[in-house]
Amino acid sequence: MNLIRPGEKQETSPKPSDDVWLPSSCSLCYGTCSILAHRVDGVVVKIEGNPDSAVGKGRLCGKGVSGLMSHYDPHRLKKPLRRTNPDKGIGIDPGWKEISWDEALDEIAGHLRRIHEDDPRKLTVQRTTTVTSGRSPFQSFAAGFGTPNISTAGGGLHCGNGAHLISGIMHASWSIVPDFEYCNYAIYFGASKGHGAGHASCSNMGKAADARAGGMKMVVVDPMCNFASAKATEWVPLRVGTDAALALAMCNVMVNELGVYDAPYLKAKTNAPYLIGPDGLYVRDAETDAPLVWDSAAGQARPFGDADAEDMALEGSFEVQGVACRPAFEILRQHLEQFTPDWAEEISTIPAADVRRLGTEFATEARIGSTIVIDGVTLPYRPAAAIAFRGSQGHMNSVYNLLAIDLLNQLVGSADMVGGCLGFNPACHGHPDTGRPYYVPHPDKDGLMIAGMWMGYLYPYPIHEPALPEKTGLQDLFVLGMTSPFLSSTDAEELWQKFDLPYRPAMLINHGCNLMMSIANKETVAEALKKYEFIVSFDLLLTETSDFVDIVLPDCDYLESVDSRSNFPFIFSLPGGMGEWCWPIRQPVVEPDGEQRRFADVLADLAERAGFGPDYNAALNAGLDLQPPYRLAPDRKYRSEEVCDAELKSKFGDERGYEWFKEHGLIKWPKKPQEVYWRHFEPVRVPIYWEWMPTVRDKMNAITEPRGITMPEEYYRPLPDWLPCASHTCKTDGFDLTAFYYRDSVHTNSYTMENPWLDEAARLDPYSYAIAINAKTGRAKGLTDGQPIALETETGRRVTGRVRLTEAIHPEGVGIAALCGHWSDGMPVAKGKGVFFNDLLELNWDRCSPANINLDLCVRVRVGPAEKTSS
Amino acid sequence: MVIDLKRCIGCYGCQLSCKAEHGTPPGVLFARVLKREEGQYPTVRQIFLPVLCNHCEDAPCIDVCPTGASFRWEEDGIVDIDHDKCVGCRACMMGCPYNNRYFNEERLDYFHDAGATPYEEARTMRHQDGVVMKCNFCRDRVRAGKEPACVANCPTVARYFGDLDDPTSEVSRLIKERDGFTLHPEVGTGPAVYYLPQ
Amino acid sequence: MATARYDRLIDDLRSEYRPQREWAEGRGLFLVIGHFLVGVAAGTWLMGLLYGVIEALIVAFALACLGGLAHLAFLGRPERAWKMMTRTASSWIARGFWGLSLFLAGGFLCLVPELWTGAPWSANSALSMAGYGLAFAGMVVLIVYMGFVYTSSKAIPFWNSPLHPVLYIAYACRGGTAALIIVMTASSRPIETGSALLEVWMAITAVVAVLWLLELQSAATGGNTAARRSVRELLAGRVALYFYGGILVIGLAVPAVLVAGIAAPLSQATLAAIGLASVVGDFFMKYSSIRAGIYLPLRTHHE
Repeated sequence: MNLIRPGEKQETSPKPSDDVWLPSSCSLCYGTCSILAHRVDGVVVKIEGNPDSAVGKGRLCGKGVSGLMSHYDPHRLKKPLRRTNPDKGIGIDPGWKEISWDEALDEIAGHLRRIHEDDPRKLTVQRTTTVTSGRSPFQSFAAGFGTPNISTAGGGLHCGNGAHLISGIMHASWSIVPDFEYCNYAIYFGASKGHGAGHASCSNMGKAADARAGGMKMVVVDPMCNFASAKATEWVPLRVGTDAALALAMCNVMVNELGVYDAPYLKAKTNAPYLIGPDGLYVRDAETDAPLVWDSAAGQARPFGDADAEDMALEGSFEVQGVACRPAFEILRQHLEQFTPDWAEEISTIPAADVRRLGTEFATEARIGSTIVIDGVTLPYRPAAAIAFRGSQGHMNSVYNLLAIDLLNQLVGSADMVGGCLGFNPACHGHPDTGRPYYVPHPDKDGLMIAGMWMGYLYPYPIHEPALPEKTGLQDLFVLGMTSPFLSSTDAEELWQKFDLPYRPAMLINHGCNLMMSIANKETVAEALKKYEFIVSFDLLLTETSDFVDIVLPDCDYLESVDSRSNFPFIFSLPGGMGEWCWPIRQPVVEPDGEQRRFADVLADLAERAGFGPDYNAALNAGLDLQPPYRLAPDRKYRSEEVCDAELKSKFGDERGYEWFKEHGLIKWPKKPQEVYWRHFEPVRVPIYWEWMPTVRDKMNAITEPRGITMPEEYYRPLPDWLPCASHTCKTDGFDLTAFYYRDSVHTNSYTMENPWLDEAARLDPYSYAIAINAKTGRAKGLTDGQPIALETETGRRVTGRVRLTEAIHPEGVGIAALCGHWSDGMPVAKGKGVFFNDLLELNWDRCSPANINLDLCVRVRVGPAEKTSS
Repeated sequence: MVIDLKRCIGCYGCQLSCKAEHGTPPGVLFARVLKREEGQYPTVRQIFLPVLCNHCEDAPCIDVCPTGASFRWEEDGIVDIDHDKCVGCRACMMGCPYNNRYFNEERLDYFHDAGATPYEEARTMRHQDGVVMKCNFCRDRVRAGKEPACVANCPTVARYFGDLDDPTSEVSRLIKERDGFTLHPEVGTGPAVYYLPQ
Repeated sequence: MATARYDRLIDDLRSEYRPQREWAEGRGLFLVIGHFLVGVAAGTWLMGLLYGVIEALIVAFALACLGGLAHLAFLGRPERAWKMMTRTASSWIARGFWGLSLFLAGGFLCLVPELWTGAPWSANSALSMAGYGLAFAGMVVLIVYMGFVYTSSKAIPFWNSPLHPVLYIAYACRGGTAALIIVMTASSRPIETGSALLEVWMAITAVVAVLWLLELQSAATGGNTAARRSVRELLAGRVALYFYGGILVIGLAVPAVLVAGIAAPLSQATLAAIGLASVVGDFFMKYSSIRAGIYLPLRTHHE
């Protein structure tokens, strides 16, 4: 027994000399909500939401309020570490030795200099999605250094090549969300927006709850009934990865059975009226090269810019310039005919009657033709939204899945209209005082939309010219791809050889990303990591990936750091819909308790030591859009506070620099309907017919066919279809269930399992650390609830865990949450908890979409009892 | 208090904001969230049920407490524990039909062998061991004019706090308008935590 | 140790039917021991008075002392135990605390002059008589209160039965009788007195058995799922071993075999064995019924 027992020593504690609440930003997930941190006598004793801010509105999720336990994790790294054991491998002790920062930075700078002279592309810069403040510094570092190889989170599970591509091309934003304030009917396809994880998660939770309370009907299409489906008015369970089948059949019901669609919208805001020739391409004006439409009033084809939208024909066959052509919509309409409700039932297991009913409901609820007045502005009112995200996009056919689902919004004209499917803030006219930041979507020469703002250098549209790859991830060949799994795939070397990649990756700078867990099975990733000559990693903890790292740099966490743009770009994690523009910052709340340094300062230091400081500063100037006189000078090293100060003054004026923001925490101003419902005002169209797809394939084939690879035609059509994943075609006896991954609302990626409060919540949760299997299916297999079981793939991959027999999952599905199942001693709280889903995944060409190189996340498994359990 | 089950999404925000507010030791959860399934596939529902001390009008925990450590504040009706009086007999845990009391048997740090974090030193060490602990509706916050931590933080605004004795209060109105109910009314404890149906 | 306790608590909280552990496991075992000892002590005092066996009173006093210590060992804050005197108006535990205090004080007053001739007060003194009075009052409280402690535990439906107090009174009598049998055989009294007591013991045992059956039956057929779950724990769950081995075999079958004279003719030794088996059986009766306690589950709908 303790001499002084807890609770009996506090009586005499003196009044604290230090007792402040500081406004800053969370970083437990990429939602980056605004916080107030309470510091008493140098210790952070509470984190609350900042009620001043539109980001979270003073409320935080469970992760956010638990941040201080991550901050005070005694296992956090405090000094730079260098490995002494040259052998790298899973579980092989690197023999860490503490070294000084100077030693570490000199060694890293030496490697950087060597590689820079040799071939800068040999450097890969990789960062976690969780810490949004890493985006600009690391992208600028890569740009300043001269490497195109930037990767996020390993290109595996987390990011959505389909979701972001479709959101970018169709909504000029990173992601989509219902216009909760006005929406009456939302149908979710494998999404949880407003019910847990995700962009602007806390704000959306409140908005979704308001919508629910206000009577918004929500249908959730998902193999598992959790989070969003639990709160839905209707849960529609379906076979894993068949979302497109339902969406296409719904479109068919709407267009061909009901004849309901928003013709004025399709004419004015999409390429639906563009005439398509027999070759599948636009029929273009001989003079201006502009796509032609059929002008019914004039009785002739005219460039789309010359005809009034209302006169454009959507249906019919025409002869123009001697060729037979039809409007894109006519082709779409006929294309949809094949997707009958019965066909959808066979693929998805959703009864045909339900398919038909859902299509009818969506068409009816959209109230096509109605208008509403908001802030004195009359706008189209389309209170129905189809929302897709992580679940429906984690498949081979993610492009079509997401495109098919978004077609629902396009057909009823609810895309970025009041009550419909909104991109996150695709247009902003800037602060009233400065007009900054300013961005709006604008048209390309074909009238199609180019996003006003994007998260990286390469915008999703216009589609780039496929080229022989210069990037290790091959994205310059696979132009619909974003993050690439090929950095770590088993056949990466084979592909690089095939495509004559003129170099090989030699050095990796990693920021907080636990690659060993975030992509696919650990053995494959381990082999890829071993091939790097030198890996340096900024980390808070020693992770599974640290086994392969040469120098580990102890990072400052979010309570010790500075960031000028916590929620910018607004297309990422500022809540959508009406309300306020809000620009919060991050400021340090406490000093590090060891030798930890902020990654942004270390990058500046490294750039200087490696001799490309001016280039780094120039890249920051561009990346942060710094205006004179706030641009960084080439010849000096800036601390993160100074960069922050420069961006804030550049955006909001001289008097509103870092010091002003430290006190106020944020700046906000009201949103205008012209910004939120920009689509009604901006002269842009989006493609319901992806005319360029076959052309892209032809261009790719020109490169790949001589090298023995032909791009499959079915992935490069202008109109979406449902394409099976490997799990759908598997016929092997005994492999009768499909395992899939879902995001748990108490966990972020692989990071938060080490937080003991969140771990406690997850352990109390019936599902978080378990393998969810339909109760009837499980019983038929002789399983009992809580029993240790093993999942095995056809390729012999195997994970174990306790089974949760549940009524809330499709009979063919196996649901596993989050990225659990840690084995590193550096994360002792997380170690051994939950199930490591990714270990089931193969990582090679066959498992990646040949369109957007999206890694397929569903996997066919065999289930049986396990002798021993992981937790 | 009123908890709107229609708004609640089971995010554990209440459970964890409570933990952050009070620095409760491992396994002591003044507020927590239960998840239950109702029905059979495919007509199944998932129910998220946030629970906490019901601050019962006829609190069995007060009746069975031999020392008077469990008591009710006269002015606001909050059921509280005077930890200096508690002998740790745990009769109140057997008396509470809502399972919302926790015995803090011996000191345990969240990071176990790595010792207490500075936060735990500052907050968790305030709590006595060998005594029973439970929610007191964040009485210090309420007296300072704030809402209880779980109410103030709830991202879905599913919690309302107010005076049940006042028929015009928001909580009274919500209970009346939306058929608020309590847990285990058959036990007859008169809970002060009401739930609004999903 | 603390970590293991934490891990188990997490598992318990996750389960729909959370088992009660505070009053049976870990330090909670001391409560069962304390209740058992004090119950037997009160019964033994009663039987000792009835049969005028001073040795039984001494044993009862000693058992009560041990029982008191066991209670202290159970408490999270034993140094504050005196505070339990304050809430007798509503708390059965407070009443029990008074009962034990009276019993120990009274027992001390009346037994000291019985055992020590040089004591400052004589066995016939008013002080000694007052001691007998106090001890008797304490005894009554101890016999009666214990069952009510469980009955008033609204979280554990299995204990809520109104039979529980009666059962505990019967326990005390059975324990007291058995203890008296042991005391009498140990003090080499004639076997006939022991045999006479055996009939009393059999009668009380029959009452206890009937009460147990009634209690199990009502819990198993009643509407409460937690109570049903408790019965399952007893008959086929975590405490089944103690139920069958401790209660049925040691507490009933062994004494029955011995009483019937199947194993050996009735002797001082068999009498003692019967008493001992009965007492051990009683311990398991209490232990298993306490450990079988399952908390009322929390649901939004009535079951």
